[in-house]
Amino acid sequence: MEDCKNLNIFTQESALRHLGSKLVAKRYVTQANKVKTPEDEAIDLLATTILAHVPVDEYNFPTTILAHVPVDEYNFRMKSIYLGVMVKRVIDAETDKKFLDDRDYYGNKRLELAGSLLSLMFEDVFKRFNWELKSIAEKTIPKIRATQFDVVKYMKSDLITKCLVFAISTGNWTIKRFRMERLGVTQVLSRLSYISALGMMTRVNSQFEKTRKVSGPRSLQPSQWGMLCPCDTPEGEACGLVKNLALTTHITTEINDYPLIRLANNSGVQDINMVSADKLHAQGTFMVFLNGNIIGVVENYKRLINIFRTMRRKGYISGYVSIYPSFLHKCIYICSDGGRLCRPYIIVQNSLPLVTDNHMVELEKGIRTFDDFLHDGLIEYLDVNEENDSFIACYERDVTEQTTHLEIAPFTLLGVCAGLIPYPHHNQSPRNTYQCAMGKQAMGTIGYNQKNRMDTLLYNLVYPQCPMVKTKTIELTNFDKLPAGQNATVAVMSYSGYDIEDALIINKASIDRGFGRCLVYKTSKCIMKRYANQTFDRIQGPVIDTVTNQPTWRHTVLDADGIGAPGELVQNKQVLVNKSVPTVSAIPGSTNTTVEYKDVPVGYKNTEPSYIEKVLISTNEEDSTLIKLLLRQTRRPEIGDKFSSRHGQKGVIGLVVEQEDMPFNEHGICPDIIMNPHGFPSRMTVGKLIELLAGKAGLVEGKFHYGTAFEGSKVHDLNEELTRNGFHYEGKDVFYSGITGEILEAYIFSGPVYYQKLKHMVQDKIHARARGPRAVLTRQPTEGRSRDGGLRLGEMERDCLIGYGASMMLVERLMVSSDQCDVDVCNKCGRLAYCGWCNSCKSSGQVSSITMPYASKLLLTELEAMNITARLTLTDYCQ
Amino acid sequence: MGVPPTVTLEEHKISKNVSRCPTVLDEHWTFKTFKKRCRIAIVRYEDYEIEFDFIGIHPAVANTFRRIMISEVPTVAIEKVHVLNNTSIMQDEVLTHRLGLIPLKADPKLFEFKAEVDAEPREQDTLEFELKVKCMYNKDSNKNSSLAEDMYINNYVYSKHIKWKPIGSQKDKFSEENLGPVHDDILITKMIPGQELDLKLFAIKSNGKDHAKFSPVATAFYRMLPEISLVKEVEGEAAERLQKCFSPGVIGLKKDNGRVIAVVNDARYDFSSRNVYRYDDLKDAVVMRKVQDHFIFTIESVGAIKPDDIFREAINILKDKCTSLLQELNSL
Amino acid sequence: MSFFHTKQVISQLADAGTGIDESSKTFVFEDEGHTLGNALRYMIVNNPNVQFCGYTVPHPSESKMHLRIQMFKGRAVDALKKGLEDLVKMCDHSLLVFNEEMSIYKSEHDSKT
Repeated sequence: MEDCKNLNIFTQESALRHLGSKLVAKRYVTQANKVKTPEDEAIDLLATTILAHVPVDEYNFPTTILAHVPVDEYNFRMKSIYLGVMVKRVIDAETDKKFLDDRDYYGNKRLELAGSLLSLMFEDVFKRFNWELKSIAEKTIPKIRATQFDVVKYMKSDLITKCLVFAISTGNWTIKRFRMERLGVTQVLSRLSYISALGMMTRVNSQFEKTRKVSGPRSLQPSQWGMLCPCDTPEGEACGLVKNLALTTHITTEINDYPLIRLANNSGVQDINMVSADKLHAQGTFMVFLNGNIIGVVENYKRLINIFRTMRRKGYISGYVSIYPSFLHKCIYICSDGGRLCRPYIIVQNSLPLVTDNHMVELEKGIRTFDDFLHDGLIEYLDVNEENDSFIACYERDVTEQTTHLEIAPFTLLGVCAGLIPYPHHNQSPRNTYQCAMGKQAMGTIGYNQKNRMDTLLYNLVYPQCPMVKTKTIELTNFDKLPAGQNATVAVMSYSGYDIEDALIINKASIDRGFGRCLVYKTSKCIMKRYANQTFDRIQGPVIDTVTNQPTWRHTVLDADGIGAPGELVQNKQVLVNKSVPTVSAIPGSTNTTVEYKDVPVGYKNTEPSYIEKVLISTNEEDSTLIKLLLRQTRRPEIGDKFSSRHGQKGVIGLVVEQEDMPFNEHGICPDIIMNPHGFPSRMTVGKLIELLAGKAGLVEGKFHYGTAFEGSKVHDLNEELTRNGFHYEGKDVFYSGITGEILEAYIFSGPVYYQKLKHMVQDKIHARARGPRAVLTRQPTEGRSRDGGLRLGEMERDCLIGYGASMMLVERLMVSSDQCDVDVCNKCGRLAYCGWCNSCKSSGQVSSITMPYASKLLLTELEAMNITARLTLTDYCQ
Repeated sequence: MGVPPTVTLEEHKISKNVSRCPTVLDEHWTFKTFKKRCRIAIVRYEDYEIEFDFIGIHPAVANTFRRIMISEVPTVAIEKVHVLNNTSIMQDEVLTHRLGLIPLKADPKLFEFKAEVDAEPREQDTLEFELKVKCMYNKDSNKNSSLAEDMYINNYVYSKHIKWKPIGSQKDKFSEENLGPVHDDILITKMIPGQELDLKLFAIKSNGKDHAKFSPVATAFYRMLPEISLVKEVEGEAAERLQKCFSPGVIGLKKDNGRVIAVVNDARYDFSSRNVYRYDDLKDAVVMRKVQDHFIFTIESVGAIKPDDIFREAINILKDKCTSLLQELNSL
Repeated sequence: MSFFHTKQVISQLADAGTGIDESSKTFVFEDEGHTLGNALRYMIVNNPNVQFCGYTVPHPSESKMHLRIQMFKGRAVDALKKGLEDLVKMCDHSLLVFNEEMSIYKSEHDSKT
């Protein structure tokens, strides 16, 4: 008000004039908006920008704006009411903290799905397409041309396709209208294991900066109960920002809201345009919002909610529409927008759940499906906000008079990855989180089509097994049909000293019989290109040695067609595809018949040999021939391979022990794996202990036990089953030492535990070097395993040596073993001399030879190249 | 002889009982005392399994026999496979690994150890087999059946498909029924029409140290003889409960003047489940011991060698080892 | 087929005198392990002339066994020889008893069926 007075604005006209003058003149004036006065511009701005949630930019026309609050024919009533409500809320929040919205609350969040992201992208590109076409037309049409202007000619036919393909293949989502620039929107689906693929498909990425140090968005929100898995999140920088959907979560898609408005109006909602301002805030009236827009007020809000819910259950409106009151705001919110998280609940009426035993029998028989439950109005989807307005019982026994809904099953609050863990409710929570990350690295089966796949990297277990202790989630996700792991008989005891720090002792006989055996598939690729000068890459058959009349060693695996033959064993440095490339390919048109070729074979680089499983010959999108070879290795576990149980208890093999050295019990059973008991006290993975017990009881009874979260077989029952079969009730057996033959003083806790072989294997990481290749520029050893590089003595290690005073060691490590170099230095001018001759002094009189790292010599020469002379002053070493 | 050495199974640990007179554990070993103590009793003898008691020996010796049976008694198993054709979905390595694990009937005594791994197969050290199977549609089958067994021929490859190929004079030395897989129905792989296997298999002699497939036993182990004594009289419901705490047959119920009293029937078949410790009232009524010089051996043969022969062979191997060492020592 | 050689060990005991002591030795058995070591140790330890006998497998991935014998009197090699001889005797006797028992069991069993 004060500002208005100071600026002498008392009428709408003057206000608009003022606003118009503040507007930055449009960067690009088209004919259409050239004539506008500043006042009109301001009106447009108000109509489009304020509360539009969509800023205007050059492609948009005022009338086509998707303003969040609609403005019909410059009627600003809706907008002003909305603005008023906003101001009221701000004032409320100023005085009362509870009016503040929680930005981390999941009811206030929306997830973007592929569809909505793609539609945004498409809209953006389509508008750009139109705008470009329009600007071309505007430029071209005024010019007088012989031919008539043909729009079709100026349409770029592949602009939209190209942009979409680019966005999807790179994951860079650039939408100019929102100034949105996001990376990693699309990701390549990991097919490392079945669980990693499933886990990736349930992933939710947060749009929050990873570097910021705020705990709010990362911490577990109570409202994500049942919607997002509380366990499954990565460790480290993305912790709490990358989440996973729970088992039954559904993400809504947008629903047409027109029928909802009609239904609301028919249910006692008075149109906002018909209501006077005092009625808006009258006692007992509730404002009704639909997807954030005020549509009106209602007096009997309960009736409205009831009608909506009944209609939803009857199926007259979509099952994903939610309606809930906010008594704080005195509002009813109806939502039909996309991206809300919701999950199904059993409806409870008159303290009785609608789903009865009869229904369950029908479900088992297959007469009923989950959708039927929805159709019949026995089950409904609730989103986070409506969930908060409901009184939900966790178990049937908790149903009271006020109860409105019943949980289908409590274990559904976990996601796919956490659902694999048996007895997760007995574990310390970070252990479940660790397992969620590790389950994705476990190898096993990846799908029924795994034999037909040509992945760049694929791990398979030779003998995968279904876990002895299943969970309901395992059955729902079919993990029991595509398992990743094996049931190992584990003895929890100390054995030798090779089991410290979580290392495992493993039975050699078990390995011999196929435990932990895995197949590693890798693909080699080769593209046959065609060049502009009519030349093309070619493949030739193996080179035949003239003496032996056999193919040369490098070409032994090649078939007559020059491509490796399936079934052959390829050794390091042998050739997989004998390809050669024409030396001259740049000059087009020259059709000389004698083309010279240069050999560019596709070689095999690995110290361990592989078998060729199969060869694929196809074409790529540019129609050039594509050759893929699938290479296979079978690996048996060795010392250093990583294994993990399903409780975040990872460990490497510390020792492989002969069967006869293994302890054995009175039934003659000796363990596959010995695990050190020190892994338990600090980790508190009680679930693993119960898994072992349940597995053992399952073995003696010949059945699978369940370790489903919050339920599963009870320890007491397991004890009974073990006792019944003549085993110790706590699973502790008498063992004899395999080495001395004497009885062990302690009872050993032993039984089956599901172990996963993780993809980290020593064979892929083992690296050592004595002598080897050096970098050309610095003459220092190369870096990295793939280049047979050296192991760096880093800064901190160097500091240790300095601190210790091991100067000769320093010289040896940093110079002699690295880039030692003898250089000649002229004592007279202090510059480098060559071959005993100082080129600047033109003499060899005072040249002496010293040893220094080549990197230093390089620095001196580079400095000289920059016209900076560094002069060396030599003193006698003995002084 | 005196009292044999025992250990007591307590609730949380096993404790040793100190014997008042010398036992096999602490006295000086002489051949005389050994001869006096050593007894063997065969309890059960079946085709693939033997159970016998070995009494009066030191655990070190018993264990040595057990260890030799597992890892040093040699058998014959498939070691090398020439894959001429394998169009089944099973990878060559996996297939060969499975073939290797099939127990073979051949008597290892009739074979020599192969001198070198890559040496040419000779009739003294190698058995050659062939596995040549092709899966086809069964033309005569019931057209209405969609069972794999009815529709196809040879869709399951069993160990019975392995055929012996004599090398040199082996044909005269051996007969077909004494060679080949122990069991006919070991599933090797599954195929569908159009797939075939053509493999040449070479079996050699080696021992369990080399690979578990050469071990003649599924397992060979022993346990010490349990000794259960009731210190207190247990009657009525408690007696029935006590009976359930042990393996069947260990505790019997005796009717005595209308009372039911628990008695120890046969402690031998108790597998140390120690479930009495679950009940506070029964805890003190029973003492469970194990006799340290009485070993109940169980040898489960995989089928290549008879279980008693495995044990004999183990003794011989130990003996041979000692004699050859003695020879070396004497020649030093 | 085990290779066998002895490693001369200068005695560490104070009363063993100087120079090479025949009464205390460590024998290295190539390609042997707990199987022979434990049984042999047991046999030798029972020799009244032996002061100490112990064995070790120094590293689990190397199949080597060290056997240490220290004598009250006499040569260590003799104790080793006696131990081996005892083992042979024991094997012979065990085999004898086992064969006897087996034949008894078989005859009993055959008569039953």
